[in-house]
Amino acid sequence: MALDYSALYPVLIMVAFAAALPAVHLVAKSSRAVAGVSVVGILASMGLVLYYMMNGYPVPMGGPNTPLLQFDVFAALFALVFQSVALITVLTSARYIEKDRHQAEYFALIMLATAGMMLTAMAVDLITLYVGLEVASISTFALVAFRKKDKRGAEASVKYLVIGGLSSALSLYGISLLYGITGTTNLAGVNAALAAMPSGLDPAAWMAIALLVAGFGFKVAIVPFHMWAPDVYEGAPTPISGLLAAGSKKMGMVLMFKVFIVALIALKADWQVLAGVLAILTMTIGNVVALQQTNIKRMLAYSSIGQAGYMIIAIAVATQFAVEGGIFHIITHAFMKGGAFMIVAALSYVALGENISDYKGLARRAPLIALSMAIFLFALAGIPPLSGFWSKVILFSSAIDAAQVAGQQWMMWLAVAGILNSALSLYYYVRVIKYMFVDEGVSTEKLKIPMSMSVAIAICVIATIAIGLWPNPVIDICSQAARTLFPI
Amino acid sequence: MFENIPILSLLLIVPFVGALVTIGLGKNPKVAKYLALVFSGITLVLATLVTMNFSLSAPLGTSFQFEENYEWVSQLGISYHLGVDGISILMVFLSALLVFLAVIFSWDVEEKTRSYMGLMLLLDLGVLGVFMSLDYFLFYIFWEVVLIPMYFLIAIWGGPNRAYASIKFFIYTHVASLVMLLGIFALYFTASPLLGHPSFDMGQIATVSGDMGHAIQVIIYAALFFGFIVKMPMVPFHTWLPDAHVQAPTAGSVLLAGLLLKMGSYGIIRICVWTFPNITMEGQVLIAAIGVVSMIYGAFACLAQTDLKKMVAYSSISHMGIVLLGIATMTDLGMAAAVFQMFAHGLITAVLFMTCGMFQHKAGTREIPLLGGLAPKIPIVSTVMMMGFMASLGLPGLVGFMAEFSVLTATYDWAGLWVMIPIASVALTAAYYLWAMQRSIFGNLTTKIDTEHIHDAYWFETVPLAVLIGLIALFGIYPRLIMDIIVPSIPRILTGVI
Repeated sequence: MALDYSALYPVLIMVAFAAALPAVHLVAKSSRAVAGVSVVGILASMGLVLYYMMNGYPVPMGGPNTPLLQFDVFAALFALVFQSVALITVLTSARYIEKDRHQAEYFALIMLATAGMMLTAMAVDLITLYVGLEVASISTFALVAFRKKDKRGAEASVKYLVIGGLSSALSLYGISLLYGITGTTNLAGVNAALAAMPSGLDPAAWMAIALLVAGFGFKVAIVPFHMWAPDVYEGAPTPISGLLAAGSKKMGMVLMFKVFIVALIALKADWQVLAGVLAILTMTIGNVVALQQTNIKRMLAYSSIGQAGYMIIAIAVATQFAVEGGIFHIITHAFMKGGAFMIVAALSYVALGENISDYKGLARRAPLIALSMAIFLFALAGIPPLSGFWSKVILFSSAIDAAQVAGQQWMMWLAVAGILNSALSLYYYVRVIKYMFVDEGVSTEKLKIPMSMSVAIAICVIATIAIGLWPNPVIDICSQAARTLFPI
Repeated sequence: MFENIPILSLLLIVPFVGALVTIGLGKNPKVAKYLALVFSGITLVLATLVTMNFSLSAPLGTSFQFEENYEWVSQLGISYHLGVDGISILMVFLSALLVFLAVIFSWDVEEKTRSYMGLMLLLDLGVLGVFMSLDYFLFYIFWEVVLIPMYFLIAIWGGPNRAYASIKFFIYTHVASLVMLLGIFALYFTASPLLGHPSFDMGQIATVSGDMGHAIQVIIYAALFFGFIVKMPMVPFHTWLPDAHVQAPTAGSVLLAGLLLKMGSYGIIRICVWTFPNITMEGQVLIAAIGVVSMIYGAFACLAQTDLKKMVAYSSISHMGIVLLGIATMTDLGMAAAVFQMFAHGLITAVLFMTCGMFQHKAGTREIPLLGGLAPKIPIVSTVMMMGFMASLGLPGLVGFMAEFSVLTATYDWAGLWVMIPIASVALTAAYYLWAMQRSIFGNLTTKIDTEHIHDAYWFETVPLAVLIGLIALFGIYPRLIMDIIVPSIPRILTGVI
């Protein structure tokens, strides 16, 4: 029987366009043309994903009992998230890097990274999962190092490469331990094998869990594996920081969902408390440290760590409702955080500094940009009726819901910690808003943001507001996606 | 009259569209002002129409009027459910009125006029939404929406220490709202199994709240009550208020004291009392104590102030204490009087803050020791201030008297001679107002400020004040106009039925 590749087509489109980009650059010699072709590629791939969503999903790829890739609602939803992030990154980058060399490679790497992320979302096998992770990681290593003459960039890229490599190694080791215990690399198979084992946790399984938490924890930047994130976000070209925060980090969450909710759910009782503690630590440390930042990229990086803490609640609670909240949060966060980073990129393109104090008086210089930034920051802080509010509501309420079960009352603390942290985070978000709207800046000269960047920002603003006002359809699809992880 | 028109939604749409139009088209400050005037005017007209058409003769069983109910986020049981009863309709009218008057009063705002006017309309939207929502979630959203325009109004157009005050305001009240949100969640998750389906509907939840375990009822009650008394604000959670008031621009203070504080007391009546009448009954003494302490503490704090505006801010704490005391009695009269006091305080406090703002503008200071003998120089301002003080200290014939008197009567019926304690605060109130008046507008003309070029009230100051004073006198002489609207809605609240 011939293998049906149709599940791979969206990924293949991205790869094909990525491969074509150097040729396009050779002919057209303009970064805009390259960016334009990339946009076409991303849109084509998105179109195919949408087509699948409407007209039924392709059959799983691989052997009949051991599928490797499965294109379902979950994969489609995350493919759309990753593609949207890639789209805004490309739109912002077109002007941002126009003076740099190797532009075709830059855009090609963005598309390859996206392809890798899409693969992880489709993977139903530990090996394909790992392949996707590596494709995405290696591409982003190069992207972070793109401005190799920039000292901060060079430092960031070395840090990112070393830590990224380490985290890959740790997760690979964890994966091989799992294989050793269960004799299979299929996610569902791992779970079935673990569930069939006699009670009492194998020490090797403990090791595997610890290694996987550490390996994926680096990707998601969970405390205490978060140290690299602020430095790398600060040193990377800003659109790439956005890609890391809004895309790569979400891939880490996909990995965690796949491994913990699908493959290790049988051991839930053993890792739940650990995940809960990590969630609370992550949100608290992220938010507290964000309070003290003076550089806006670092502030956004730490706030991202805080937000990752909220997402870990989904793992700790591990109910379908919680995963639904986690997925919802990933979607909203991609647009809020992505948008905020694109604004920072756009502003540094027009020569505004990256210190938070440089944003003083911005409302006079670029009123629409300041307004958009305020919308993102309010959404991140969870002020209704913006999108970030709903995702927090579902996440926190899933914890309260789960706490109704005897023996799990401690989960109430996840919600309490989340809410206290939201209040804390408000302070540093509002401080930026205050700078932009209340304080007087040193200059009142108007800032003119290039069209393509404005489009990228506008996409994020519209998504942030629209999801806030009409959360229904998104909640629906998130709940369908969450259901795919909980086979009954 | 409004069978086919979603009139309550219109009340939300008009200020919202108004805010967008004003911010979009108001490049010229003059245009912005007129746009804001028109849109807040239409809102006021609509609110007045709704109030006039509010049926007083509806049979007691009928719950809310002009109801609108649509599913919103069906998965979670969130609905877009609006409706008014005798309590909310008064607050809706008060909101529309105060915002309209505040727009007029702000006629001399020249800096960033369009954002200013747009934010006023957004604030209108939020406050009206809070008073009309019958779904916890919708209620919470509007509750939070109110914070943003108020934050900007203080942070951009406020006094010298505005950055500190605005952030303090935002964080304080946001934390309180988050605690309230936790309470709402707990309520939702406890009520949904009892109802058999997820629901945030206030009415539906009120029907099953009595079946919840006692401990969980108390916990939820505490969380919600905390959220509301911070907003009211009651001692010891009041410290954000003087800062916010002193720094806010005059119209901001008017809306803050006139409307935002009412959101707190409205929440206690609409949510705490209605959903958990039994728990309120159990906590009656504690609630009354918080109210009385706030009354006395606020009054003493007023005596110590030298800044007129700060004094008025503290007096708000004292007067909102009266509202809480009225609620604590859990009698028909006490509850009705509490609502009446909310309405009265809204009118009176607007006058007081406006006159304080005028002093700042005209004399350049609000420091009482620097003022003195200004009555002959600025007769209109001084007269209005005097009337405001009189209304606030409860002079018979003005609206404040009726409210305070009813609350104290209800307290006497419930607690007997303990009523002497809150009455003491009435005496203190008279003392600080008269003392402030004597020092600031009577006596010898001051030499500490430039009184040569001092100018009496402008038209845009006189008009709103005249309207307010007129209403204060009208409802003071003929309180039935208000009481007739409030009274039929009270028994339902006290017994917890829909």
